[in-house]
Amino acid sequence: MQIVIQNLSYVYSPKTPFEKVALDNVSFTVNEGDTLGIVGATGSGKSTLSRHLNALIRIQSGKILLGDIDLSQKKPDLKEVRKKVGMLFQFPEYQLFADTVRKDVEFGPKNFGMNEAEAAKSAAEAMRLVGLDMGEIGEKSPFELSGGQMRRVAIAGVIASRPEVLVLDEPTAGLDPAGKREILELVTALKSSFVKTVVIISHNMDEIAEYCNRVVVLDEGKLIADTTPAILFNDSDIIDNTELDYPHTIKIKRMLAARGFVIDTPALTVKELAAGVARRLK
Amino acid sequence: MNEEVMKARAADEVVIKADGVKYSYRSGERVSRGVEGIDLEIRRGEFVVFLGRNGSGKSTLAKLLNGFLVPDEGIVTALGLDTADEDRIYDVRSKVGMVFQNPDNQMVASVIESDVAFGPENLGVPREEIEERVTEALETVGMSEYRNGSPNKLSGGQKQRVAIASILAMRPEVIILDESTAMLDPKGRREIMETIMKLNREKGMTVILITHYMDEAIEADRIFVMDSGRVTAFGTPAEVFAATEAIAAAGLELPVAGKVSLELKKMGFDVPFAITDEDLAEGVCRS
Repeated sequence: MQIVIQNLSYVYSPKTPFEKVALDNVSFTVNEGDTLGIVGATGSGKSTLSRHLNALIRIQSGKILLGDIDLSQKKPDLKEVRKKVGMLFQFPEYQLFADTVRKDVEFGPKNFGMNEAEAAKSAAEAMRLVGLDMGEIGEKSPFELSGGQMRRVAIAGVIASRPEVLVLDEPTAGLDPAGKREILELVTALKSSFVKTVVIISHNMDEIAEYCNRVVVLDEGKLIADTTPAILFNDSDIIDNTELDYPHTIKIKRMLAARGFVIDTPALTVKELAAGVARRLK
Repeated sequence: MNEEVMKARAADEVVIKADGVKYSYRSGERVSRGVEGIDLEIRRGEFVVFLGRNGSGKSTLAKLLNGFLVPDEGIVTALGLDTADEDRIYDVRSKVGMVFQNPDNQMVASVIESDVAFGPENLGVPREEIEERVTEALETVGMSEYRNGSPNKLSGGQKQRVAIASILAMRPEVIILDESTAMLDPKGRREIMETIMKLNREKGMTVILITHYMDEAIEADRIFVMDSGRVTAFGTPAEVFAATEAIAAAGLELPVAGKVSLELKKMGFDVPFAITDEDLAEGVCRS
């Protein structure tokens, strides 16, 4: 399923003294199979944009096509939209609510009309996909689990409805390094399941560089780049003109270049950077 | 570093001390471990970082250090005061200030200057002095021009700077930041780190930072690594990160420069182990 966003604009509290333009004529396309990063400073419109993707915000002007569903029509089939586009909010563990893990993860699929047996099957599969075992922790309270486990349960709750697109708002915020890596590896692994497309909002440029094949940059509601991490961080001055940051690997590459040690790699990961340095040292 | 700061450090005064500290959380029948058997000393003017996986006891320890929690066993002494002494608990909390993770949960007033004045007002500080403290605190964090504005319009980094100013207005001697950069964008994180470094290096403030970001930890004077409620390693960043297996065992990671230098070593290159981007670049160019 392709997502096409055309001339999308959104204004909070229009025609009042508190009027704020959150999105300003944003257009881009998310292709099936993409792991797309959305980056930008706080207040640049990232969350407003992502909330449009599963119709939590009604379109004011512009157009969004989710496959063949037109979100700008008067009454889009919201149930269908939310089934296709799963959304994981920031700190999703705060949204766990049921008294057992099983009830929490089965809530989504039941809500989308699966019967008991189907929901149980789908929930168990979702748990397996996030690396947890329903048989083992299904009857536990979600609040007995560790932070990383709670976040994985929250992801299971979203993917139990078998969405084609998964939108993640700051999926690693507040997690320890091992937890961060687990979540990102998990998201990558999910792409060989029914989840075909992933959209990640992140402040962490190291993660964007390593895990995304495409990236869009928002600045004060405007889309100022639609490119690849390799180009964004190596061959553009976009980062210098915003208040974002370079990934550490790129910072090291640039420091090396400033000392006359130029390497021939986009240096998006530690391995790439090390290999580039090794080639030059030989 | 200015002269006063140098002097304070040279005095080697211990401002916080934990001695055999244990704490467990209890709810009904259930008991879950917080920390067990913590011994540590933090000196005036130090910048200390606590690292550890989620659930390792970092935040529990931080709350024990300013009397938010009182140990089940052992003693925490802050600025010479026993945190278990109920008569002095307000002295402890005003001397050891704490900034939390979520900037939106820490604002109490609708105007920034009232927010910063809230602490000293509660301490019964005279009006003129409050004025003075608010001015100074906002200046220190670089937020003077927003004084009469509303906290709602600020970015995450700006909100956290106001939260720090609100603590500074209490004139603390130690400031603890519990993952205060976790929810910020890159610019916000830079702002907070710059503020911390300024407080520590220029004003001699003792700073304790809890973080999951290794690039923040490398700025510290000392790092304490926690795991399963205990301190499992401590030392300078260079010492702590050089013990690469212990770092992995504690669920942590090396800073990116450290990972790259290890990778190069594995490939047989003689590049010195580095934890900062600069040192790595320097080392590669020299080898």
